[in-house]
Amino acid sequence: MSASLALDSLTKTFDGESSPALNEVSFEVEEGECLAVLGPSGSGKSTVLRSIAGLDAPSSGRIFVDGSDVAGLAPEMRGMAMVFQRPLLFPHLSVLDNVAFAGTVAGQPKRVARADARQFLDLVQLEGFGERPVTALSGGQEQRVALARALAARPRVLLLDEPFSALDPELRADMHTLLRQIRQQLNPTIVMVTHDRDEAAVVADRVALLSDGRLLQHDTVERLYTRPVSISVSRLMGGRIELHGEVRAGMHHSAIGSVASPGGETWAEGPGVLVVRHEAVHISTFEVAVPDGMVGVEVVVTDRRARGPRAEVTLACGDAMMEAEVPASRPLVVGQRATAHIPRSACTVVPTP
Amino acid sequence: MVMLIPYGQRVTPDDRTVSNRALMRPRPAGRALRITIATLLTAWFALPLVPLLLWFFADRWSAPAVLPTEWGFSGVTSALANGAVPAFGRSLLLGLVVAAIATPLGAMAARALTRGAVPAPRLVSGILLAPLAMPAFVAVMGLTIVLLRARVPGLVGVVILLVAAALPYTVYTMRVAYAAHDLAYEEEARTLGASPWQVLWRVHLPLVAPGLARSAFLAFLVGWSDYVITILVGGGTIVTLPLLVASFASGVGNDAVVAVLSVSAILPPLVLLLVLGRFGRRYPTARFMTGPTASRSPKGSP
Repeated sequence: MSASLALDSLTKTFDGESSPALNEVSFEVEEGECLAVLGPSGSGKSTVLRSIAGLDAPSSGRIFVDGSDVAGLAPEMRGMAMVFQRPLLFPHLSVLDNVAFAGTVAGQPKRVARADARQFLDLVQLEGFGERPVTALSGGQEQRVALARALAARPRVLLLDEPFSALDPELRADMHTLLRQIRQQLNPTIVMVTHDRDEAAVVADRVALLSDGRLLQHDTVERLYTRPVSISVSRLMGGRIELHGEVRAGMHHSAIGSVASPGGETWAEGPGVLVVRHEAVHISTFEVAVPDGMVGVEVVVTDRRARGPRAEVTLACGDAMMEAEVPASRPLVVGQRATAHIPRSACTVVPTP
Repeated sequence: MVMLIPYGQRVTPDDRTVSNRALMRPRPAGRALRITIATLLTAWFALPLVPLLLWFFADRWSAPAVLPTEWGFSGVTSALANGAVPAFGRSLLLGLVVAAIATPLGAMAARALTRGAVPAPRLVSGILLAPLAMPAFVAVMGLTIVLLRARVPGLVGVVILLVAAALPYTVYTMRVAYAAHDLAYEEEARTLGASPWQVLWRVHLPLVAPGLARSAFLAFLVGWSDYVITILVGGGTIVTLPLLVASFASGVGNDAVVAVLSVSAILPPLVLLLVLGRFGRRYPTARFMTGPTASRSPKGSP
């Protein structure tokens, strides 16, 4: 049931707009893969999904499903099912008939379509809800039915447009678990739009990061965090440490000293910004030898902010500022001297903007 | 303290919310006033019907008498003898034809206007609403001549003009319906494999059905109750119920016949109104709504 998907320099300019909503976006999604299209609001991520679904016609560029161009194919011929942020359950149909909708419009007898729909209701753990009117469901249940309805259409690619962002955190976590189970059982190809990088990290295999209609980076979740290709990617992924300096002979020189690139990687010579995740920075208040593969930096704590179980601290090293996270219980106070240990494997250098 | 409502019982606002909200709690003085006003309004609507119903069964009712002086069915027999049944049939047919044409036209215009697919939308909606502002007589006098010159048969002319007269009502009603209609439902149906035709029948029409029913009802009333257009354009050859009523009402001593015809003129709209009230609801009422899982909000909460 699943298919591969490829976008080839997809561009979309809406009528009356000067700048394109999508600017030459290309990426590939393998069969059975889950790709998250991540980006702030207005980055064009929903337009990507609507173009794939055939609801918006791209201005230029091509979309391939299993290698064949789907240009000019009507939405109903593309074999994509979409789940929107709002459940959009048809109010004049029962829960079961909503899930049986795809079967019914495909010409299946009502009895067959309903029997099939029942399996998908079971799959989303809503056994016995079939006879209810859709007005008798809670928000989380509605979204489960919407998911079952989309899956019952046997989509070649399942499109999810911020499907869980209207749910509260607990329900959202349930839906993530459910999605994982569905992936194990049915292995659908999924493209999911989200503005929540944590959600992308939990659900997706790879992430396409969009900003202002451009694809900034298409990579695994881990690499997007640890190996951003630009300062914008680092910032959009929540990176807070930016150390301006210069790469000379494979070493980055900045206010914290010189840092060698991790094994197997080379950094471009010339000016560059060293970025590292604040989660990777360890703070030591004792005199310890710098462990292998780490860089030791003498710092002073200049700020401390409580964040529930964690605390965020700002560290100064000369003119350079760094951030780190410590458990809230750690007695680290403003003005205190400490040593920050940065793993070299967590460091990467991006071009100076 | 909120009282628990037993499962399966309908929750009305009175049951648990009204007593908690100062603004919604009925005040004794306000309550008496409301009952008085409601009674007066009911009387205002019902009072004209009382003499009508009495005349229905009266053969003679001289001026000072409170009740008819002679009871009987001469009104009914006289009405039947003067072609009340065919006139009733013609009016019914005219109303249905006008509704059948004006409702889809109004719906399409309203959908296009709501979607912003119309150039100069204010001008277009102004033109569509114009028949309301123009006295029917003025428009019809001019149009009769045009239709005669164009050799349009009287019946066709009547239908064309009545449809135009009904359009403001159907367009307005359907604009309200489409304003509340979410096109995303139709997009969702398309991605699930429904063709545009299937989307129309299985999603679009069911969702706007209550609006369609309301606008068809109004369009029917235009055709059903019309007098001016039918007599002027039809040239008196198409005898509908209003024409029959008018011709009897202009004579003397026909009160019983007029009463019979008037009562029969009320019946079809009344029946339609009752049907509309029964089936014209937006969504099927949820029996489960009062259950423990009833907490439903559009976004957020479970």
